[in-house]
Amino acid sequence: MFDWQEEAIAIGTMNHTEHNNGKGKRLNREDNEEDDDEEEDERDLEAWERAYADERSWESLQEDESGLLRPIDNKTLHHAQYRRRLRALSSTATAARIQKGLIRYLFLVIDLSRAAGEMDFRPSRMVVVAKQVEAFIREFFDQNPLSQIGLVTIKDGIAQCLTDLGGSPESHIKALLGKLDCSGDSSIQNALDLVHDYLNQIPSYGHREVLILYSALTTCDPGDIMETIQKCKKSKIRCSIIGLSAEVFICRHLCQETGGSYSVALDEVRLANEWILKAELCLHIN
Amino acid sequence: MKFQIEDVTVYFPYDHIYPEQHAYMVELKRALDAKGHCLLEMPTGTGKTIALLSLITSYALSKPSSLVKLLYCTRTVHEMEKTLGELKLLHRYQRLHLGDAARTLALGLSSRKNLCINPAVVSAENRDSVDAGCRKLTASWVRALAVENPNIPTCQFYEDYEKAASDAVLPPGVYTLQDLRAFGKEKGWCPYFLARHMVQFANVVVYSYQYLLDPKVAGIISKEMQRESVVVFDEAHNIDNVCIEALSVSVRRQTLEGATRNLNKMTQEIQRFKNTDAGRLRAEYNRLVDGLAQRGNLPIGDTWLSNPVLPDDILKQAVPGHIRKAESFVSLLRRLVQYLKGRLETENVEKEGPVAFVGSINAQVGIDQKTLRFCYDRLHSLMLTLEITDTDEFLHIQTICDFATLVGTYTRGFSIIIEPFDERMPHIPDPVLQLSCHDASLAIKPVFERFQSVVITSGTLSPIDLYPRLLNFNPVVSRSFTMSLTRDCICPMVLTRGSDQLPVSTKFDLRSDPGVERNYGRLLLEMVSVVPDGIVCFFVSYSYMDGIVNSWNETGILKEIMQHKLVFIETQDVVETTLALDNYRKACDCGRGAVFFSVARGKVAEGIDFDRHYGRLVIMFGVPFQYTLSRILLARLEYLRETFQIKEGDFLTFDALRQAAQCVGRVIRSKADYGMMIFADKRYSRHDKRSKLPGWILSHLRDAHLNLSTDMAVHIAREFLRKMAQPYDKTGGSGKKTLLSQEDLEKVGNGSLGEMLF
Repeated sequence: MFDWQEEAIAIGTMNHTEHNNGKGKRLNREDNEEDDDEEEDERDLEAWERAYADERSWESLQEDESGLLRPIDNKTLHHAQYRRRLRALSSTATAARIQKGLIRYLFLVIDLSRAAGEMDFRPSRMVVVAKQVEAFIREFFDQNPLSQIGLVTIKDGIAQCLTDLGGSPESHIKALLGKLDCSGDSSIQNALDLVHDYLNQIPSYGHREVLILYSALTTCDPGDIMETIQKCKKSKIRCSIIGLSAEVFICRHLCQETGGSYSVALDEVRLANEWILKAELCLHIN
Repeated sequence: MKFQIEDVTVYFPYDHIYPEQHAYMVELKRALDAKGHCLLEMPTGTGKTIALLSLITSYALSKPSSLVKLLYCTRTVHEMEKTLGELKLLHRYQRLHLGDAARTLALGLSSRKNLCINPAVVSAENRDSVDAGCRKLTASWVRALAVENPNIPTCQFYEDYEKAASDAVLPPGVYTLQDLRAFGKEKGWCPYFLARHMVQFANVVVYSYQYLLDPKVAGIISKEMQRESVVVFDEAHNIDNVCIEALSVSVRRQTLEGATRNLNKMTQEIQRFKNTDAGRLRAEYNRLVDGLAQRGNLPIGDTWLSNPVLPDDILKQAVPGHIRKAESFVSLLRRLVQYLKGRLETENVEKEGPVAFVGSINAQVGIDQKTLRFCYDRLHSLMLTLEITDTDEFLHIQTICDFATLVGTYTRGFSIIIEPFDERMPHIPDPVLQLSCHDASLAIKPVFERFQSVVITSGTLSPIDLYPRLLNFNPVVSRSFTMSLTRDCICPMVLTRGSDQLPVSTKFDLRSDPGVERNYGRLLLEMVSVVPDGIVCFFVSYSYMDGIVNSWNETGILKEIMQHKLVFIETQDVVETTLALDNYRKACDCGRGAVFFSVARGKVAEGIDFDRHYGRLVIMFGVPFQYTLSRILLARLEYLRETFQIKEGDFLTFDALRQAAQCVGRVIRSKADYGMMIFADKRYSRHDKRSKLPGWILSHLRDAHLNLSTDMAVHIAREFLRKMAQPYDKTGGSGKKTLLSQEDLEKVGNGSLGEMLF
């Protein structure tokens, strides 16, 4: 019932604003997002698929000079603030901790456990992640031509090296897209151990980094993960994590210890944002 | 920072203050000005303790004549240490600003178990044996003997403390229990006796509720406190239960058997004394002729227990003639024990008022009310005379005398209930005779009368108008504060239906319904897959928890839960529970994730915090009503209705909801923290239940979250967790200010600040 009302009002405002400035649709969408950030792609969903929302859309209307109703446009403001905050955060972290290095050796760890199959990002988390990884790899090699990337996946509690460190974007992307299915638990410790063994052989001029894309909320580890974290810290491997669902203590701890950054993607758009940030970070380092 | 509240300069050790802390201080100050009692509710995690401490000490500093002392009562030793830690910080800050003018003495006082530094004594396993161990070494007659015979062990620390006599003082400062022990070790003085001595001179004393409320202890520890003191009861939402427990006694078969053994032992002792030292018994007799109040000729170390709240005039009376002689007193006790044994033999449940009970004692064994009243004091006088030091052995007879004195003293507000077996297990005979107090105001009345300001404060005191009625006092200020937050970091929800739209509830007719059990199971299962790290579940009782976990196990739900998170369960065994909690924390730390099953009103619900990642979600399964068929509860309800006009239903709901609020309040301990709370019962959506939740939960409970089904709740949880994982800035940059600096405070006057907040 609520949805109905809201729909009606939303359509009403849409008509108004379209007359007014021609970009009503956009504005209206943004207005919806304000209370509920998952609403991004709600427009093309059926009513029963939509999020339960209790935003009082009539309250976020404003009268303009000519007496027409307009949605309050503070979405862009929020968004800019959010970006700025993130950047401030990462820049302090980088300024304090990261030495400038010319060549980076980055392992991308992609969590393909059970949780990666969830459909809260459409069509599923892992497809979205794969899409973003593809874009990221291209961007990364654009920014860091001499650096190398390797891919690791976690599935059924085991970490598996998909591609060794290498500089060809195509081979990485192809390898990943060929292996896209998910099952079982995930284990951060296994992944870190594996990556640690690889990165430890990198000569000291290289910059060692791990970026984990983590869908799961738990990690089922064979041993004491704290030791592994210390091991990574000692070998100066910088671990960053992008979470897909919620803040997990151990992830935050790992990033803090190794000087990486931890963020949780709010939705698909924000996820892309996180990636852009990482790319910017690359610029900064070079 | 330093600021003015009306005419008081407040020293606050942090650079910023929350607006609600400021408002809290303003109210508190007005109550102190009015020299009245007050009732303040403020959510946990907003810095209640430091606000209280800094205002009251600042008040005392700016008006040295009006306040003498702060008596701060906490529930646990852990809280005591935390409070003293804060006080230390505050004291350092005040010293910085005021120099020597701010010199105060603040200390914590606890039992011997926590303060003793004699390794031989403190190694005993429980409190009573430590007490007895101490007395064995420090009782005056033991020490007198030791002077003649060096082979008799004494406590070196106590001896040194005694030797130092009036030189044994604590220099000004703030002493935690640890500091006291360290100081004692350094000087070689007994910290327990030193602390007890210094309490009279200290400006701030932090101790446990019992020292003020339990008449047995209150007499010795707190009798010398001046009227111009401020008494603070922190975390006082259960204060009525503490009061009631202080005056309730239960007698079982073991107690009576133990009492008989004690009496035999005493008879032997009396016989022995008669043969060796008849003078002592005669001296005691003479003393009793003069009256109890004049028996102050015993040294301080020996008066370990004092009389319960006897009306003053009784104290001045002489002990009735026929129990002045030791033998006749013992034989009277024997008759009393015999009578109680007879009563316990009953097949039926019996309920009596104190008057009828005393009447029947008088008729059957010839002990009148006045004699009963004196049992307690007479026993202790006798035990001192007989030089009994292993007091832990004599607990049984002490219980009997407590009982006798209480029955003899009060004619209203009590009832005696004899149950031949536990209602829930009718096959096992376990007779118990309970003297239960129904009136919480009896124990706390002397406190309200003696001290000019009593502050009762907690995170959950809703509905705030009920407490004055229960405790029978008139607060000059009673206020509930909400929390000012930079983001909506708590997310309460009321879940009324499962995914299949069937209602869920722990109502008696519904609770064992397989559909309800399944829906509860599915709820937890869905939640473990979306909530990271720790989840805490509260059930209404141990038996219900056992039942539902069993059925989850049979239907395989438990196994599925275990795929996501490990499961830990609270049991009635303290050691087991501590171990489970430890492992639960470990599982949360290392990212495995865990669920903790616990029981409302249990140990965990009262004292353990599940802050940060240790508790991202708490689920309250059902409404934690008390066991309504319990006779004690029924008797209390009847009394409340007749005396205070509180309806049964109202009281039960109030009690259940404060427990629920207490449980869910465990997850959020500071403003930077975040957590979700699910009330899983359809009854929570009813207005009469919901409206009794504390304001700080209600203000975050949105209308849309009042009638959720499992799938909706999961969706909300997902979004909430995502939102909370985003970075945020603590000062709340735009809009509402949630951190005030000194300039802010100076800029806005008191009045406008209040408006800004509410």
